[in-house]
Amino acid sequence: MADSIQWETTMEAAMERARSEDKAIMLDFFNPG
Amino acid sequence: MDAVSYPDTGVIDFISNHVIPLRVQSDSEPLATDFNVKWTPTIVTLDSEGTEHHRSVGFLAPAELIPCMLLGVAKVYFDADRFEKALLNLEKIVSDYSTSDSAPEAIYLRGVNLYKSTQDPKPLKEAYEKLEQDYPGSEWAKRAYPYRLL
Repeated sequence: MADSIQWETTMEAAMERARSEDKAIMLDFFNPG
Repeated sequence: MDAVSYPDTGVIDFISNHVIPLRVQSDSEPLATDFNVKWTPTIVTLDSEGTEHHRSVGFLAPAELIPCMLLGVAKVYFDADRFEKALLNLEKIVSDYSTSDSAPEAIYLRGVNLYKSTQDPKPLKEAYEKLEQDYPGSEWAKRAYPYRLL
C-alpha cells in the first residue's frame, strides 16, 4: 500500500486513468496556504 | 485535510483503490471557474468525462470522507444507469458507515436505485421506513415522506 495519496495534477491525466481503470475522479481544490 | 484526513491510512487505502485522485490549487484556471469554486476544501466527484456528480465543501474527517466519496462514486454509476455498481457503493455506506452524515442520503438513493432497476416501488417504501426508524428528522427522511403511501 502507498504511504501517501498519489495525486494526479492535470485533468487530462486523471480522465485518461479514469477511462482506462473505469473509476470516478476525486477532484480536490485546495488552498496552499 | 492535509493534517488529519489525507495522511490517514484508511483514507490512503480507499482513495488508492477506488478513485482517481486529482488535486489542484483553488485558484487554478480554468478548473476553478468551470467548477465555480468559492471555498476550500472543495471535493468534487467526476465521471471519466469530467462531469460533476457530487460535491462536498468543508473539512471531512476520515470517518466522513470515505462514505462521502462512496456516495459520490455511487452517484457517478447511478447517473449512468449502472445500478448494480451504484448499489455496491451504497450498501457499503449503509453497512460500514451507518453513523456518517452520508448514510441517510445513501439509504434514500439505494431505494431509488433499486426502484429504477426493478420498477418495484417496494424499496422506496422500505427506504422511508428505515429513514424514519434510524434517522428521524433527517433531511432525507423528509424527502422520502411521500413513499410511506406506496
